[in-house]
Amino acid sequence: MKNLLFILFVMPFLLQAQDFSDEDYIYLKRHEHIKIGLSKQTFDITKQVSEQAEYLTAKKLYFANEAMHFDSFSSIEDIDAYTYLPERDSNVKVDYIETKREFDNGIFYSDQESKIFTFPAVTKGAITNLNYKEVIKDPHFLGLFRFGTFVPTKSAQLSIEFPTNVSIGYVDFNTKDIALDFKQETKKNTTTYTWTASNVKGFQSEDDGESVLYFMPHIIVYVKSYEYKGETINVLNDVNDLYKWYASLVNQIDNNDLEKVYKIADDITKNLQTKKQKAEAIFDWVQNNINYVAFEDGLGGFIPRGAASVCDKRYGDCKDMANLLYEMLNHVGIEAYRTWIGTRDRPYSYKDVPTPMVDNHMITTAIIDGETIFLDGTDSYVPFGMPSSFTQTKEALLGIDENTYRLITVPVQKADKSVADVTSTITIEDHMFKVNEKRLLTGYEKVDFITDYLYKRDSKSDEEFLNTTLALGNNKTNYNNIKKENFDNKNEALELSFDLEIDSYVKKVGNKLFINLDIDRVLSKSKIDIEDKKYDKKIDHTYTKNYVTTLTIPEGYHASFIPETLSFENPNYGYTITYTQKDNTIIQHKNIYINTLSIKKQDFESWNEFIKSLNKAYKKSIILEQNQ
Amino acid sequence: MIKNTIYIVLLLISTNCFSQYYKSYDWAKKPKLHDISADEAKEHSLAILKKSIVEYSSAALSTDLKQFETTHTIIRVNDEKGIGEHNRVYIPMYDVKNLIDVKARTINSDGKVTLLNKDNIKEVNNVEEYGDFKIFAIEGVEKNSEIEVLYTVEKEADLFGSETLQSDYFIKNAQFLYITGDLNSVVKAYRTTAKFENVITDGKASRLLDIKNIPAMIEEEYSTPNANKIAVVYQCFPKGQNITQDMFWSNVVNNVGGKIIPSSTNSQAKKDVEAMLKDKNALTNYDKAVLADNYIKTNFTVVKNNNAELSDLDYILKNRSASDFGILKVYTNYFNELKIPYELVITSNRFTYKFDPDFFIPNMLRDFLIYLPEEEKYIAPDRIEYRVGEAPFNILGSYGLFIKQDGSHYFSKIVQSDPNYSTIRRKVDITFNDDFESATLKQHQEQTGHWAVTSRAIMNLSTDQSIKEYKDYLTGSGIEDKVVESYDAENTEMNQSEYNVPFITNSTITSESIIEDAGDSYLFQIGRVIGTQSELYQEKERVNPIEMTYPNQYDYTITVDIPEGYTVEGLSSLNIDKSYKSDSTGEKLCKFESSYKLEGNKVIVTIQEFYKTNEYSLNRYEEFRSVINAASDFNKASILFKAK
Repeated sequence: MKNLLFILFVMPFLLQAQDFSDEDYIYLKRHEHIKIGLSKQTFDITKQVSEQAEYLTAKKLYFANEAMHFDSFSSIEDIDAYTYLPERDSNVKVDYIETKREFDNGIFYSDQESKIFTFPAVTKGAITNLNYKEVIKDPHFLGLFRFGTFVPTKSAQLSIEFPTNVSIGYVDFNTKDIALDFKQETKKNTTTYTWTASNVKGFQSEDDGESVLYFMPHIIVYVKSYEYKGETINVLNDVNDLYKWYASLVNQIDNNDLEKVYKIADDITKNLQTKKQKAEAIFDWVQNNINYVAFEDGLGGFIPRGAASVCDKRYGDCKDMANLLYEMLNHVGIEAYRTWIGTRDRPYSYKDVPTPMVDNHMITTAIIDGETIFLDGTDSYVPFGMPSSFTQTKEALLGIDENTYRLITVPVQKADKSVADVTSTITIEDHMFKVNEKRLLTGYEKVDFITDYLYKRDSKSDEEFLNTTLALGNNKTNYNNIKKENFDNKNEALELSFDLEIDSYVKKVGNKLFINLDIDRVLSKSKIDIEDKKYDKKIDHTYTKNYVTTLTIPEGYHASFIPETLSFENPNYGYTITYTQKDNTIIQHKNIYINTLSIKKQDFESWNEFIKSLNKAYKKSIILEQNQ
Repeated sequence: MIKNTIYIVLLLISTNCFSQYYKSYDWAKKPKLHDISADEAKEHSLAILKKSIVEYSSAALSTDLKQFETTHTIIRVNDEKGIGEHNRVYIPMYDVKNLIDVKARTINSDGKVTLLNKDNIKEVNNVEEYGDFKIFAIEGVEKNSEIEVLYTVEKEADLFGSETLQSDYFIKNAQFLYITGDLNSVVKAYRTTAKFENVITDGKASRLLDIKNIPAMIEEEYSTPNANKIAVVYQCFPKGQNITQDMFWSNVVNNVGGKIIPSSTNSQAKKDVEAMLKDKNALTNYDKAVLADNYIKTNFTVVKNNNAELSDLDYILKNRSASDFGILKVYTNYFNELKIPYELVITSNRFTYKFDPDFFIPNMLRDFLIYLPEEEKYIAPDRIEYRVGEAPFNILGSYGLFIKQDGSHYFSKIVQSDPNYSTIRRKVDITFNDDFESATLKQHQEQTGHWAVTSRAIMNLSTDQSIKEYKDYLTGSGIEDKVVESYDAENTEMNQSEYNVPFITNSTITSESIIEDAGDSYLFQIGRVIGTQSELYQEKERVNPIEMTYPNQYDYTITVDIPEGYTVEGLSSLNIDKSYKSDSTGEKLCKFESSYKLEGNKVIVTIQEFYKTNEYSLNRYEEFRSVINAASDFNKASILFKAK
């Protein structure tokens, strides 16, 4: 029976792989041809892009809006775009193209611009055609080609043509499920590599999924080296070259007025004894005093701004903060390195991908008494000693000196570093459920709460914010005496306490009261829709939640039913709930833990069992019966 | 020589005439931090001063207007979030002739002043549809600093303008100084009791609006906060002229009407209509309008860019692309050919601007509709999700300028022809399996009106992720462990030929979490069948008048099978009756009513909830809130099944 089900599942998928007739819009073709020229030591690189898309219905005509991005490392030329209308057998040309900029929430100033136009006359059956040339001005940026994109592609092709004295590297990702064809041709003095894939399905991102780059078939090509006068000159042969290039950029940092920076570092650390205390004080200062403002302007997007200027202006982006930390820490005698790193949404390692595609972030690494400490100045509330959560599992490239680097993987932070300890005492007065609760949050639990409180609360009152985020009991809960302590980046736990009154929560039937102690139903909505969910589920960080809930049995009542112990154990996730009675109180101990950053597709069923079991446990009520 | 002297004298005189207030206006030479109260220190940020100076003048011998605008703000930032909201400055260069001067400084808590290095001002051109900007980041900001920015621009002189004085942070003092000297001008303030005061600025007649302690505008449910901010609008006329509001409106009517209403049909438009009408006969005007609307929305794209040709009819019909203005010409040409009577409507989105027929400024002329007076129906030409029917919800309730085909005009509020346009009818049949492990909910639902428009739009236009979330909403939202056993939808196509066709879904779901064990009894959380309901909290005093997204009505019938051998208790919590009645007629304007009856082995619960209008009085907020929260109360209701 199980087998039959499997076949039923697979059949429609296979059929669909060949036939996109259910779609509204598909690419008939997306081809890119990179041509590399080299005269003496100067590269001449162009990418010819050719795309053709078909409107199978007239629903999503908004796909007619096209944008091609470029910046100071590239330009867009020779745009030829038109719509072909099979019904009339005629072409309607694009005759109006604008160059536009956009404001971005994260990046204040960027040199990125876009060529923007709208395909004319699109309707059901229309086929749009776009051809243009992208001039790539720096051989470090050949980019990435996606065999799959947000809608299906019938024919996807990347080719790269290069002189025989140039060596090209490539690495492909997630191509095992597509029939990727590779061809190599050599003619006279040029070699061409061609990769072709047919009928590649569409890939759209999922809110709680891992980044689409983990699943979408794509390829990264790069210039490894070239021969010049009998010598091999490396461009990005391996991570050594990438680092050398980074080091050459770092050499251009403006080192003026560093005394100003040193003075601040000295002032902050003057009364502190240990290296750790000093490093923590400096990290705190940068987190508290340097505001995140990003400028991306040519190579300025890669070279940190001078530490003194960052101190004066009191703002900077990740690399500016990384460099400032580096200068301050080294000045007070702490071993520290500028560190390049990719965030979790980039699935690459430096070894596999020795190109700037691999990273998108910069931090500082300090080595203190043999301990490696990652410092991310852009994460204003992460406590000293923990990396920013979005860099866990990622390879960090530490710049030791001009020629030396070191690769270290940022470890996953253990679940005992991000803990929510929740203590509640519950009384029942006139059927009103009254709670006095204190929450202590550490690590990423603390970071998340502060960030949500600052940036997602909007103009909501504290009560409304807590009612909609914690959702304790139900959304009619009254909050009183809300207190918040340690709203900072320190290692002390954030302390949140409040009194609750929850109306219509205690159920009275006859002489019995039904009381459910699980007012916090964390994870209850986390069931995965296995049929629909395409990618692994992403978890931002591991954590532990411990609840101790004490119910005082109201006078005149006794407990006639107390739920038994329930638990679900798996190395990656689980919970235990126990109840004990002591005098006139019932104490519930609840522990929930998540020890993994990702739930793989093959583990979805186990995850759902966990959630199902947890939800079942949440349903269990205590029954109090009136004394006769 | 004499000639020269005269020339110099004249020059002096005219320079004098031109002497602008901005030249002498300046910030404090030695800035000091302003005192703030303990409460103010708790805000992320607040404005100590937000001042706008608009100055009009004209040269002695000319009627040309000159217009200068000076902006001066002092913002106190208390924490990281406050800094993040104010340390990046964008100066729009739209319609700006000259950026005359910009300066900015930070005064930190120690009194240290950091002046902006003007070399760090960046130019950003062609930003989306907003034009050019000068941008800079404020230097030297720390917690508990003041950020002071002062700049003046000379604008392409316009006869009108507007300024929003309220913001989403607290403002201790907002000032609007309007300097027009001997020019005729008018000015009007919205949503404030403060009055303009006549003052003399550098010898020129001026008006000053000075408001203290403006609260932060806050987001509230059922409100249009952005359109509710305190604002001023103004008009200034060339020397010796006086223009009435009627003259402005007539000008718009002639301008727009003249361009859009054709006297004869374009030849390509004729061909399109011919193609449309092929094999069709006995069409009513309504049918024809639907035909044209569907045709346009599946063959034309409305484009937002600066291509002037997008309002040229020949270009539009060839390229099947138009601006939001140009697309109107396609409708009017088709309608001319199809002989459908129509009116043009110019109005505004009530969530961003409250259209004011008594004071003309072009800012509010942002949205275009076509009105079919015989049918009392609207068409939204640039809204892909709407078809012939009612006006889009964000326009509903706004005033509009209606232009008839004969060139006459009138103002009217935009209302629905069918007050019951948007409804949800839901029938849910609930059964339990033998051991009360799980419940099965069989649901039939019909959505009409704006609900149906939204459902179709999401199902047809959205990303996979949004479609997934929406399907979840359509099948027992808020029941976390539900398993969707079956789901299908009818009338999902955006192109519909009849008025207000319902969007129908049929689904079956099962859930275990909806039943709770209670010893030998079972608590069934029947309230959760209606989905999680919004709750209005009262902790902060309500600021905004109540405006619903649109009037709507819910009719639910929930039938629960009582399993054999069980009795049911706790039904009285299912009886809820809350309403808000009209002061004048006593008629219920909104209500939530639920009740039950027992029929054989079935409990039948009926719910009717409606909101007949989309506006409710702010001083009756508590009554409105009680209706909204009644649904949320019902959502918490449980009934108990007890073994006999």
